[in-house]
Amino acid sequence: MTAVDVLIVGGGLTGCATAWHLAERGASVMLVEAGELNGGASGQNAGSLHFQIERRFLENGPALAEQASRVLALNRLAIQDWRALDQQFGPAMEIVMHGGLMVAESDAEVALLERKAAREAEFGVPTQLLDGAGVAAIAPYLSPGIRAATWLADEGHANPRTITRLLAARAIEGGAEVRSHTRLADIGRSAIGFQVTLASGEGREQVRADRVLLATGAATMRTGVLFNLHLPVFPAGLTMTATERTAPMIGHLVQHVGRRLSMKQAESGNILIGGGWASRLQRGETGFDLSRPATIDPEALRANLKAAADTVPRVAALNIIRSWTGIVALTADQLPLVGAVSRVPGLYVAAGGSGFTLGPTFARLLAAEMAGERGGDGELALFSPDRFDHLNGFMG
Amino acid sequence: MSGMFDLAIVGGGPAGQAAAQIACAAGLGVVMLDEQPRMGGQILRQPPSTLGVRDWLPGATYDDLKAQLHRSEALPGLDWRGGVSVLGLFRDADGFQLLATGRDGRLTIAARRVLVAAGCYDMPTAFPGWTLPGVMSAGGVQAFLKSQQVVPGKRFVLAGTHPLQLLVADQLRKAGADVAGVHFAQGLGAMVGQLLRDPLLPLGNLRPFRDAAAAFVNLRRAGVAVRFGQRLVRAIGSERLEAAEFADGTRIACDVLATCYGFLPQADLPRQAGCAMQRCERTGGLAAVIDRWQRSSVQGLSAAGETTGVAGAEVALREGRLAAIGILLADGLLSESEAERRAAPIRRELAKLQRFADLLARIADPRTAIAGLADDATILCRCEDVTRGALIRAIRATAGPEDASALKLVSRAGMGVCQGRSCEHAVRALLAEQGAAPGGGFTARFPARPVAIADLID
Repeated sequence: MTAVDVLIVGGGLTGCATAWHLAERGASVMLVEAGELNGGASGQNAGSLHFQIERRFLENGPALAEQASRVLALNRLAIQDWRALDQQFGPAMEIVMHGGLMVAESDAEVALLERKAAREAEFGVPTQLLDGAGVAAIAPYLSPGIRAATWLADEGHANPRTITRLLAARAIEGGAEVRSHTRLADIGRSAIGFQVTLASGEGREQVRADRVLLATGAATMRTGVLFNLHLPVFPAGLTMTATERTAPMIGHLVQHVGRRLSMKQAESGNILIGGGWASRLQRGETGFDLSRPATIDPEALRANLKAAADTVPRVAALNIIRSWTGIVALTADQLPLVGAVSRVPGLYVAAGGSGFTLGPTFARLLAAEMAGERGGDGELALFSPDRFDHLNGFMG
Repeated sequence: MSGMFDLAIVGGGPAGQAAAQIACAAGLGVVMLDEQPRMGGQILRQPPSTLGVRDWLPGATYDDLKAQLHRSEALPGLDWRGGVSVLGLFRDADGFQLLATGRDGRLTIAARRVLVAAGCYDMPTAFPGWTLPGVMSAGGVQAFLKSQQVVPGKRFVLAGTHPLQLLVADQLRKAGADVAGVHFAQGLGAMVGQLLRDPLLPLGNLRPFRDAAAAFVNLRRAGVAVRFGQRLVRAIGSERLEAAEFADGTRIACDVLATCYGFLPQADLPRQAGCAMQRCERTGGLAAVIDRWQRSSVQGLSAAGETTGVAGAEVALREGRLAAIGILLADGLLSESEAERRAAPIRRELAKLQRFADLLARIADPRTAIAGLADDATILCRCEDVTRGALIRAIRATAGPEDASALKLVSRAGMGVCQGRSCEHAVRALLAEQGAAPGGGFTARFPARPVAIADLID
């Protein structure tokens, strides 16, 4: 029987990056992915590297905003991690960190930006508040209706279509075994770890693993079932759109504090538009069917494009050539679920919340923790899955 | 928005018209949408009425279809919307919402049922030089002739495997163009051999064969060379096309090279809606899977004509009738037995016609002719300039993609304005050649045609 130190379930950004870090440390690693590598949210998102407080944290009242803003400690680390990836992998990842703006139009939005900037300063994220003239000087492509913005020089974007596979390739070069189209069929516990049954087109196979990481995104509720656990991660469908290629127009990541919007121009020249507009999850027999792509809601799509054209008027003249959907994972308190599951020793999870921007940081910190390294600052403590352990009082 | 239609027909060709006749006669509220300003489809592509063309598409080839067209244009109860591109098909509780754009901007149509009869398009074929200006599809040349009454060049070379190129060459000749030759990659013996495999088929009764034979005779009489076993291998030119080169080294000077290797189903909308699709064996296109009433796997969505597999106008027309009868049956406007009674003669004709269509597909089989044509420097995705070599490198990379959609993401092939309409079949064939499983093709996305943001949000 194959025996590995770590079995990673899920071939997305976090899973592949963790496999790479662990393989570099000399651990024996196997990664299994039920479909194609990078087939989930890691490859479906629009590649924003956003380190300011997210708008979604601000729209559900001050209590949740207060709690969620604590993720900022991680955002600071993520800035360093993306710069490190850029150095280690070079231009193939198309990591561009030329700055990002979160813009405001109304008085209320400007006030919101001010509170947000104060909070960011508290956590050491160096956001600057700009007035209308200051914004226009940096980003003349924005609508004259934009009255203020917060600027963060480290924000930007990267290429979600290629990054995960580049990380997987490094993991493989480091000795990790990566298997796609292979799913977790069953789990047994033993004194020395997990007895895992894998299923693929070639049949079933037993693998022994000391530790298991579930990096399964929106499917984490389902993979948790194999461990008799509730891992409370909820799927949500989002919509993104690409315009035709065009000459350089938008040099930054652009977000809006009062409307759901993110925009950036990829290296290829296409402008990518998103920002949290819903797509519809498909219904299955016993819940949402995550095996089928979410479908586009034409009204949400139009509202998204309206927000884009209101913010950067010149995009109205561009053709859109593709809208697509992705399924992300959310938690009840909006914070990611990352770390060891105390109830099942040896089991780790990483899911939920800004998994593209924060994925490299989750992976680096988890790999250190799984390799038993000491000396971390407990950066992941806030995101421990144990905060929902009460759900598993009758499980495990 | 204009209330809820009983049926929205996408495509104003023979299949859509035939369905409209039956559905309107039964009192259904029917809307028909087509990208062309006038009804007819590709086969009867009409010139703009402002051109005042009198003797449009003369000859018996088109007579029946023209008669149906004239009936359809005058069909009471049919809401015709020409010059409209359907961008997306969305299911809702009542049926479907079609989001479209046209000259007057955005259009939203609500319909209980949808019939997609969107026809087909010329199969793009990649070979060295195929992206040079002057290289076109034979269908493209024909569209210029039929609708614009324009001969798009001076000296034409036609090459491929499909007998349609005989008709196009003959139409070019009649329009006064210099046709330097028609080139079939397959040998004459192989074509005749296919014909003789089913000696009981009364080919003379079948229009496409009769027409191809007549065109062949016309061309010969006019001194136009029709060559067999002449496989096109490259287009030569620096800024634009200067000559076509064949496998035996022959070069023929020309300013238009029209290729004709077959046709791919136009099926963006059924694919967007999640219909089950099947691969066309010879061309690699994807066609909607339908049941015996032309119903797709998606409730309320039917398909007819080339969208379900390329078999010609005669088959399309009958499939359109069958689809409409199936819809009346589903709506309870026809009893099971009445529907079967009306469908029976159509099914008999279809069975016969399908044999001819299969024969034509065997004769025109492009696979041998196009295998190995593209070299590693040849662009397969012309929207994003992705070469065959780049795709092979992507497939062979460590942790590389395994299916067509994943290959699209890493290579950008299929990510341009055509959404992979021109390269998908070639990318899938390449994956298969490299030992991977191409899967179901690229994921079809909204919008089916590029659309300006301003047109969607106004």
